[in-house]
Amino acid sequence: MDADVNGRRGPVPDSGTAAEHLREQLGLTGTKVACGSGACGACTVLVEGSPTVSCLLPADRLAGRTVTTVEGLNGEHAVQRAFVAHDAMQCGYCTPGFVVAAAAFTDRWRSEHGDVAPDRAAVADALSGHLCRCGAYEGIMAAVRAACAGEHDTDPEGAPPRSDAPEKVTGRALFTTDLGGSQAWEGVIVRSTRPHARVLKVSAGHTRTEPGGGDRAPVMVPLPVPDGVVRHVGQPVAAVAAPTAELARRAADQVQVDYAPLPPVIGTEQARRPGAPVLYPTAKERGRVPSYGEAPTPPAPWRGNVRGPGVVSRRGATAVDRLRRARRRDDPLLVAQEYTTATQAHTALEPHSTLARWEEDGSLTLEVSTQTVRKVVAKAAAHWGLEPEQVRVRAGYVGGAFGAKNGMTTDVVAAGELARVAGAPVRVRLSRSEELVDGGHRPGTSTKVALLADRRGRLRAMAVDSEGDGGMSVGSTTAALGALMYGAAPRRLRDFDVVTNRPPGAPMRAPGGPPLAWALEQAVDTMAARLGEDPLTLRRRWDGNPKRQALYRTVADLPLWRGRPRGPRPGRFRRGVGLAAATWVYMLAPQARVELRVVDGAVVARSATQDVGTGIRGVVSDVVTRRLGAPDGWVHVEIGDSGAVHGTGAFGSRTTPSMGPAAAEAADRLRGVLRERVPEMPAAGPVEEHTLKEALTAAEGLSVVGERKLDRWGQLTPSMANDLAVGRGLSGAVHVMEVEVDTLLGRVRPTRCWAGLGVGRVYSERMARNQVEGAVVQGVGYALFEELRHDPATGTVLSDDLEDYRLPGPGDVPETEVHFHQEGFEHVPGAGVGLGEVCAVGVAAAVGNAVHDATGRRPHALPVRPDRLLEGVR
Amino acid sequence: MILRPSDVEEAVSLLGEGARARAGNTGAASALAAGADVVDLTGVAGLRGVRPGPEGSVQVGAATTVAELAQAPGLARSHPALVRTAAALATPEVRESATVGGNLLQRNRCAYLRDPAFSCLQDGGRGCPARSGDHPRGVVVDSGGCVEPHPSSLAVALLAQEATVEVASPGGRRSVDAGELYASGEGAGDHVLGPDEVVVSVHLPGPAAGERVGHLRAAARSRAEWPLVEAVVRLGVSGGVVGHARVAVGAVARVPLRLPQVEQALVGARPGQALDERAERALEGVRSWCAPLPQTGYKVALLGATVRGALEEALADPGR
Repeated sequence: MDADVNGRRGPVPDSGTAAEHLREQLGLTGTKVACGSGACGACTVLVEGSPTVSCLLPADRLAGRTVTTVEGLNGEHAVQRAFVAHDAMQCGYCTPGFVVAAAAFTDRWRSEHGDVAPDRAAVADALSGHLCRCGAYEGIMAAVRAACAGEHDTDPEGAPPRSDAPEKVTGRALFTTDLGGSQAWEGVIVRSTRPHARVLKVSAGHTRTEPGGGDRAPVMVPLPVPDGVVRHVGQPVAAVAAPTAELARRAADQVQVDYAPLPPVIGTEQARRPGAPVLYPTAKERGRVPSYGEAPTPPAPWRGNVRGPGVVSRRGATAVDRLRRARRRDDPLLVAQEYTTATQAHTALEPHSTLARWEEDGSLTLEVSTQTVRKVVAKAAAHWGLEPEQVRVRAGYVGGAFGAKNGMTTDVVAAGELARVAGAPVRVRLSRSEELVDGGHRPGTSTKVALLADRRGRLRAMAVDSEGDGGMSVGSTTAALGALMYGAAPRRLRDFDVVTNRPPGAPMRAPGGPPLAWALEQAVDTMAARLGEDPLTLRRRWDGNPKRQALYRTVADLPLWRGRPRGPRPGRFRRGVGLAAATWVYMLAPQARVELRVVDGAVVARSATQDVGTGIRGVVSDVVTRRLGAPDGWVHVEIGDSGAVHGTGAFGSRTTPSMGPAAAEAADRLRGVLRERVPEMPAAGPVEEHTLKEALTAAEGLSVVGERKLDRWGQLTPSMANDLAVGRGLSGAVHVMEVEVDTLLGRVRPTRCWAGLGVGRVYSERMARNQVEGAVVQGVGYALFEELRHDPATGTVLSDDLEDYRLPGPGDVPETEVHFHQEGFEHVPGAGVGLGEVCAVGVAAAVGNAVHDATGRRPHALPVRPDRLLEGVR
Repeated sequence: MILRPSDVEEAVSLLGEGARARAGNTGAASALAAGADVVDLTGVAGLRGVRPGPEGSVQVGAATTVAELAQAPGLARSHPALVRTAAALATPEVRESATVGGNLLQRNRCAYLRDPAFSCLQDGGRGCPARSGDHPRGVVVDSGGCVEPHPSSLAVALLAQEATVEVASPGGRRSVDAGELYASGEGAGDHVLGPDEVVVSVHLPGPAAGERVGHLRAAARSRAEWPLVEAVVRLGVSGGVVGHARVAVGAVARVPLRLPQVEQALVGARPGQALDERAERALEGVRSWCAPLPQTGYKVALLGATVRGALEEALADPGR
């Protein structure tokens, strides 16, 4: 029997899922498969008008039914216009699922209630089957409510806040997972079944391991296993590819790996014990240990499985001496506490994926879901012995990254190797389980913090000892960040790593920041209580950062803060408000470039950067449009292709403060050239359409390149590897969080959040706000739900789907207000710095302080689960 | 191959030949048993729909979706405990596909069971790796075997609704109390039906006189979450006094449980007032039922708290 899909009838197969049928047979790739278990809703389509998860729906169930996918909404639904207008997305990978479900909800709501906005709870109920890892829920909420109220029934005037939003709400945006069609072979990674073992032999079964022209038989390649030792269950060992996914899975089952088992060490306590098996016994092995730090890991001593300390001190001996003496005299103004955090997975909704193709001239084309096309070029060229010009890397749309798609990940190596042997394009797309096991995580930490104040309430000493639990990797920088907070009091900050036979971490959005804030900001609140002082007053005294000082002044007048409840709160539901301060380093990419070319009377902006959801495509478009004085829609941005002029990788909160100024400079140059040709063009401000048209016609084919100008007074560091430099000035943030604690069932419900950011001038306000709102969502996940769990005997990751790894949904997050303090970076071209990380640092800490305020009990361990809360509040 | 029987008897006979049943396909079972022929139950005549019966009773076909159940006209008035339970489970999209029968007979969600690298009591192995391993969401009424709680929310509600379930076997049809689908939960598997047996329908007796209900799920996230503890309460109130009480809980044991001692203590309670001493004692007594695992000690208190919350809701319920 046939199915009617978007108005076209066609047969349905008797096997596979509806999602596979829509994507692979019908080419309707707007429907995404992100979790494969019905938990995330990215694959939602309308069946007979009802939202249904197509990843679980057998394809044959479509027979005789009417199906509407995101493509079938034709971009004409009010919800689609509303998503664009309210910037209800970041990376866009979950967007089609949200749009389809929201369209059905909006239609039903309006027919039942008329054109009135539903409350947030009604929208949260309707969209509770959807997850957005970027956390664009504020925009989604606003969009759906406005669409229900009938505010988006006609096409809007003016440009959308995010220039590529129309592509994302219609399913036209093609992500790496959508590419390859039926020509590409499917690659599957074969992973270690042992926590710790020497790999003796990898046997291919019947698969081919050498190139052999035209052969369609499955192929296998070994993957690099450092030291020939696997160190966690799930570590990549080999990869296979075959013309279809089913054949590839079967070929993978044939691969035989012979292991010589080594004794595993799973828990950090076990790893510390004398006589415990050692993961990296030799200096050579220690030299190759993977790091989840963003910068190269400085050398540190090893003892067994413990690496460290890496020490950052300011009069460290004085700090330690003062703290010791305070402890001996039981000084009530000594706060010494221990805090722990759980392992947080990046788990971007687009999994790691690569489509690799070797061209006849020996060059390599890689379509990669990456946050840095340029770094992949450099690393791939080195890996395959090619010149950088022989490697082309494209990342048109990237479905989230958060730090985990930062270079030559396993999918890139496997796809490239497999394509070489297969003689065909090969794509490797990690499953959600692989993504959660080996796709990167922010390691758990255990942090001891000690603060000492004197009678006048001044900070006299600080000590932080933090231990990172990054599985087989190292690179913790939690304690070190304590150097950037609360003035110049003496302090000793020590970071340790404990290695175990569990998967490695990866840099994640403000590495080290959230775990330090979780400990330090709660310790500061504790000190405020000891001093009998308001937490805000104490911070205003201790904190020398002028941006946060400005934010504190605003907080002091906030109704959310001023009107917070005081005194003991009886009853089942208790409201509390807490705040937390945060800081981050200002980083930039001095080599950032933007090329502007006049094509067909319009301006095309090109750069080898990529948009992971932060909105750099829109920022470049906004900057160039404004500086040129052009009307909306005259500037077209092409990024995500390594062939363009140098662009920055999306890490270190540096994309906007690097690409923005380069785009501005390019626009100024172009404007200068255009004025030479058409003198009527004004030097600044908007340009008459006919003048601009005349100028651009005269300049057809012209190309200029803008560079990232240097900051006044220069940088703090020279440009390091990866085009990274540290600039002058620290960014600042303050979060104020309100929670309601259900003391009967142990549930924390964040209700309202105020996020204040001091990052200088903001480029594109709505998209900046979106990132800050998303960081609140991720921070709430970190605070309350997210936790990678493992089997204590083997280290096997157990929470390997999106039911057991719990992301916050639309109903779990607070109503969020974002405030920008836009001064303090006038020395930077564009006067603004990045905000992606600083806005993520203090969220969980603010939740912690709010829970304490509500209940009188201080949470020490993340996440603040019901079981922990019940122990604490009873 | 997909087989589409037209009636229940044909379905049962196909299942007897080794095919595997498929309804909403939203559960873990479909992933666990790939390869075999599939008997699609959603097209079987008479298996779908909510039909009113005599004296306020209702018959629910096993292939009725959870969404249809949650939205069935009139059911929210006559059987609110079941409707509220149905409307709160999983997500709107999953409820759209998931069926009543599938929910009752679903496989448990243990991560060790889903990982083929582990062998366990549920798949023919000899031990439970979760017992010695990681089990923070495990049972708190430990019976010594598998430690994964029964996942069905509807089963909890059906216990509270005093429902019976019609089962079709090669030998014919029989009607059993909802709890008998699971017996003691000590064996392998998540229910006691054979591979050639299916649930045909659920029979819900009419509402109690003056029915009041409470339903509560304890969970960290507000929605789309497997509960840590779930409680369903039905009270029959006449003359301002509770005359009839049913209390059922889920996610605490290998099977959904009724709490008869709490039910008995509620008879005679007065809605609108706080729990009396007898009810308090009975709630306290629930603790003695519990035999927690190393990581589920918190569920002892949470079970009591969830039942208390559901009771308070029911006692405050104005009725319909």
